[in-house]
Amino acid sequence: MQGFAGGGDGGAAAELAHLQSTMRAIEAACTSIQMHLNPAAAEATILSLSRSPQPYKACQFILENAQVANARFQAAGSIRDAATREWAFLTAEDRRSLVSFCLGFAMQHAGSLEGYVLAKVSSVAAQLLKRGWHDFSTAEKETFFHQIKQASLGIHGIHVQFTGINFLESLVSEFSPSTSSAMGLPREFHEQCRRSLELDYLKVFYCWTRDAALSVANKITGSDSAVDEVKVCTAALCLILQILNWEFQCNSNGKKGVNVFSSGIRHDTALSNRTECILVQPGPGWRDILISSGDIVWLLNLYTALRRKFSHEGFSIDCPIAVSARKLILQYCSLTGTIFPSDNGQLQEHHLLQLLSGIIPWIEPPDLVSKQIECGKSESEMLDGCRALLAMATVTSPTMFNQLLKSIRPFGTFTLLSTLMCEVIKVLMTKGPDEETWSWEARDILLDTWTALLMPLDSAGGIVLLPPEGVDAAATLFAYIVESELKAASASAFNDDSDSDYLHTSISAMDERLSSYALIARAAIDFAIPLLTRHCTERFSRLHQGGGSFDPTETLEELYSLLLITGHVLADEGEGETPLVPTAIQRHFADFVEPDKNPVVILCCSIIGFAEQSLNPESRSSFFSPRLMEAIIWFLARWSQTYLMSPEESQDSSYSSKAGNVHQVQSIGSGRTVLRYFSEYDHGKTVLDIIVRVAMATFMSYPGEKFLQGLTCYQLLHALVRQKNICIHLVTLKSWSQLATAFANEKTLFLLNASHQKSVAQTLVLSASGFRDSEPANQYVRNLMGHMTTYLVEISSKNDLKRVAEQPDIILSVTCLLERLRGAASASEPRMQKSIYEMGFSILNSTLILLEAYKHESAVIYLLLKFVVEWVEGQITYLEAQETKVVIDYCMRLLQLYSSHNIGKISLSLSSSLLNDAKTEKYKDLRALLQLLSSLCSKDLVDFSSDSLEAHGTSISQVVFYGLHIVTPLISLELLKYPKLCRDYFSLLSHMLEVYPEMVGQLNNEAFSHILETLEFGLHHQDSEVVNMCLRALRALASYHYKETASGKMGLGSHASSLRNPKGELQEGIFSRFLRKTLQLLLFEDYSPDLVGAAADALFPLILCEQGLYQKLGNELIERQANQTFKSRLTNALQSLTSSNQLSCTLDRMNYQRFRKNLTNFLIEVRGFLRIV
Amino acid sequence: MSDEEHHFESKADAGASKTYPQQAGTIRKNGYIVIKNRPCKVVEVSTSKTGKHGHAKCHFVGIDIFNGKKLEDIVPSSHNCDVPHVTRTDYQLIDISEDGFLSLLTENGSTKDDLRLPTDETLLAQIKDGFAEGKDLVVTAMSSMGEEQICALKDIGPK
Repeated sequence: MQGFAGGGDGGAAAELAHLQSTMRAIEAACTSIQMHLNPAAAEATILSLSRSPQPYKACQFILENAQVANARFQAAGSIRDAATREWAFLTAEDRRSLVSFCLGFAMQHAGSLEGYVLAKVSSVAAQLLKRGWHDFSTAEKETFFHQIKQASLGIHGIHVQFTGINFLESLVSEFSPSTSSAMGLPREFHEQCRRSLELDYLKVFYCWTRDAALSVANKITGSDSAVDEVKVCTAALCLILQILNWEFQCNSNGKKGVNVFSSGIRHDTALSNRTECILVQPGPGWRDILISSGDIVWLLNLYTALRRKFSHEGFSIDCPIAVSARKLILQYCSLTGTIFPSDNGQLQEHHLLQLLSGIIPWIEPPDLVSKQIECGKSESEMLDGCRALLAMATVTSPTMFNQLLKSIRPFGTFTLLSTLMCEVIKVLMTKGPDEETWSWEARDILLDTWTALLMPLDSAGGIVLLPPEGVDAAATLFAYIVESELKAASASAFNDDSDSDYLHTSISAMDERLSSYALIARAAIDFAIPLLTRHCTERFSRLHQGGGSFDPTETLEELYSLLLITGHVLADEGEGETPLVPTAIQRHFADFVEPDKNPVVILCCSIIGFAEQSLNPESRSSFFSPRLMEAIIWFLARWSQTYLMSPEESQDSSYSSKAGNVHQVQSIGSGRTVLRYFSEYDHGKTVLDIIVRVAMATFMSYPGEKFLQGLTCYQLLHALVRQKNICIHLVTLKSWSQLATAFANEKTLFLLNASHQKSVAQTLVLSASGFRDSEPANQYVRNLMGHMTTYLVEISSKNDLKRVAEQPDIILSVTCLLERLRGAASASEPRMQKSIYEMGFSILNSTLILLEAYKHESAVIYLLLKFVVEWVEGQITYLEAQETKVVIDYCMRLLQLYSSHNIGKISLSLSSSLLNDAKTEKYKDLRALLQLLSSLCSKDLVDFSSDSLEAHGTSISQVVFYGLHIVTPLISLELLKYPKLCRDYFSLLSHMLEVYPEMVGQLNNEAFSHILETLEFGLHHQDSEVVNMCLRALRALASYHYKETASGKMGLGSHASSLRNPKGELQEGIFSRFLRKTLQLLLFEDYSPDLVGAAADALFPLILCEQGLYQKLGNELIERQANQTFKSRLTNALQSLTSSNQLSCTLDRMNYQRFRKNLTNFLIEVRGFLRIV
Repeated sequence: MSDEEHHFESKADAGASKTYPQQAGTIRKNGYIVIKNRPCKVVEVSTSKTGKHGHAKCHFVGIDIFNGKKLEDIVPSSHNCDVPHVTRTDYQLIDISEDGFLSLLTENGSTKDDLRLPTDETLLAQIKDGFAEGKDLVVTAMSSMGEEQICALKDIGPK
């Protein structure tokens, strides 16, 4: 490949010829790329231009003379690449002239060349200007900026003006950290540039741009065909938008805290995370320019003028200038923070009012606007109007928000918001559910607006006081929402599209929407609760009146929707914690002292009563469809977490004598009344009983309804047993013990989905924590699980097991039993520990027999292993030494047996997916075995037993190493490609090597070399966590060996020294091998910078172990360097790596830290040229 | 849970072709199922409903355990499906005969010569290569519904 280095020595003519030939080569390359002829070679040609030293002359020549636009484009790119690379070597004059060439070129050819070439050239100029931001003197910068100012003010004509604005745009985006190009410079540099631009130039740019826009605006409003002016104006508006998008940081003289109480304005920045609305907070310095300057009025006028032209040719709602103008108006709506003085929000109110009066025509009157859109008008203006409301809602308090419109309309903004949203929903109802329409988007934006108003993030849990008009608006809207949701439900009742069938899909798709609905409902809770009650009772009675004579499907679907909405209004999702009664419900309905008359109680009771009817077989078959039951179960689960036997209530009652404490505030409202009503002292137990019986009915009477049963298992029952105070009552309930008996004996429950059986077993066992003492708890578990263990033992001791084992019905029973045992084992708690240990212990032998019998049935094997893993994990810390020995022996037998079945086994199948399945199954098995070993490991860390293990001659480390020895041959490098297995394996391995390095010396050669191989594999893994673990293991091994040998002991003995392997090749000792590898990795390969610390910790003891080899490697490195400067730099660096910072030869914390520092310096010094040269 | 229904020693031979009824909802991924009269391994189960407020039905995707072909079926989840009885037996490999049959040693010491070599090239190569290297091979034969095929082999060390 020819070089493109700038100019030879052969005089001007030769130089010209050289430049021309370069240009032709690049042109040819660009053309061939476009025509897809040998693109690789063409790319190489272009790359060689940008990689050649000092290609500037050639590039400039190409820019000025090339015929092919692409060639110019590439030449500009090459200037950028070469200059950022060589910046440090360039003279000040070179640097300046490069920037001014690019700038000058862009200006000079403005309007005459392809837009993308000009844009590229000005972005190159911007990047170089930033690169030299600290190098150029202020005077130099001033010269550049003077040129830009002249251009952007339009002195040199409209095209140059456009180019000037364009350049400023690239400059601003280059200086903004999120959009800047890296240029191989540290963050600090970018940060300094950002700060400098923000302080010194951003306002100036803003003014220039605004003036540029002003200068062309009149022409645009005055004529219909000012095409170029429109282009300039659009660019100017975009640039202003970009400037306002800047992440302002120096806004309040470095002071971040703002007085939140000063005005009706909220300053919460956290809000901006939630919505798509970005807050603009430029600080007080911008007040004059942005607020007082009247720019907003000008902008609104411009847009109004544009609106009048929309019917004309060349302008439409969606033309670029209109879009940018609207975006900019939105941006002004989001202005907040210290830019407004603390004058009680007057200035901000005035500012927002100005904007709102400009925006109102976009959205008002709502019915007219929506009609126009349905007739074909573009919806983008209306959507932007909604977004503006969202922005205003985000920066104001509800009261101020409502007040805004009052001065120009007889009603407040809330009323407008509510009417607008009703209109949007109305339109939405006419569309199909899957159509992505404008009304869909508008609804989401408006819902966000409500959320922003009703859920301020800063006042956590606090209550937002809406103005009365807001409450009325919310009530109207909620009524309308419910009505339309019901309409939608009954309309879709007969739709049979499979996707929307499921509760989980409909909930997750609707969840955000439903919680916004709930917010709106809670804003008008006095109205919403009775409304929901009315709707529910109406439908309940409709079902009963029908009595089988009509098709209830529509009503069922309506109830389904109602239950979801009601569930969201009444209770929040727990997300693992006990949710509180929503504040709105706590505070309202204070007048209803009688619990029976409290609207919330009435609503809850009517739904629970309805759920109870599902226990009646007749009504069950006539209208409790599986889908309706899903909603009921979901509702009960959500509701019971908040209201059923709330621990708060039971605590309050026991301390009721201490009235007058904080709780009194809450007890004013109805929260107390409702909680009290459903507490253990009142109706709580009855309701709990109903819930349990409904749950049991879903198991017994809905065969094969997997999803419904899953909801019962995972949502309802799990939620119940998670609460201690509920467990206490559960175990006393007759219905609960009926469930337990049925589970142990009834055939129907063996027909549940196997993983649901696991969950039920877990739930039942967990409920035993409700017993006060451990004896009845253990007895309860024994009764529950006894049948199952007996049955499993029975199966495994059959004489003809081998023959019957593979029968499908036996496989089914064994699978179910194992799943149940696994569920019980995973519910280990100290109180039931004893009985769960007995449960596992009684079947240890049977599991080994089954492991043999099902060696070809991987699904059963996996379950069996998982049971053992969970049982051992739950038990190991509690076991006494004797028991531990039994468990450990058992585990080793299990490992050996598993290994003997699987080692060297190859599956043959015609189907690749079956083969893949087989591989995945193997991976899962092995992962389970590693988990088993890890939990054995934990015995050494946490041990609650009374006597020590060593006394009984059991060493956990020995056992685990032995286990590893059995398992590792099964783990091929192929299998380590499964990331989870890989992590598990390496974390276990590195844990073992770190904690018990002395065991390594006792490993045999085969086991040892397998470990080394995997360590080496791990060292080059993509996952930096894996690499980190390997480095930690290396550090542990090397430091152990070094310390041992220093004190005259063996250390790792023969493993450390070089050996001849059986084939007669010389094999390096472990430390030499890894010293090489680590150095190689550090100096020449790619790795995450986070690893340097860990690598230093490994490298230091490795060097100490193998000092001779280290010297040799260092010398080799130095010898390889041809360049004399680099050679001496390398020598010095190697020297100071081991000697600076008073590094000494002991392995203590101090020295590790020093070596870390040394290594970091060393890498900074030499890695750059080592990798390139 | 009585196990009376499992006694059928008298029909030991018929066991190979036997299928068992099992509720569709209990069949899970990695289990077996008969689809279109072929024994299959289930690789995917999904459930849907017959109409919004109707009952659940299971949709099975299975792969024929002998020929690797993909088959699908939809069954109401409370109904029964046929589940094939799949047995696997280990034999020691004695010889591979010219005419494409394997000579195998059964557990009780007799020989079994009626199992064909697979016709697929790769599978064939895997068996033949292992045998040619002189490894001691155990082959696993899978049989169900009257068909029999080699499904795995295992190296138990050099001869």
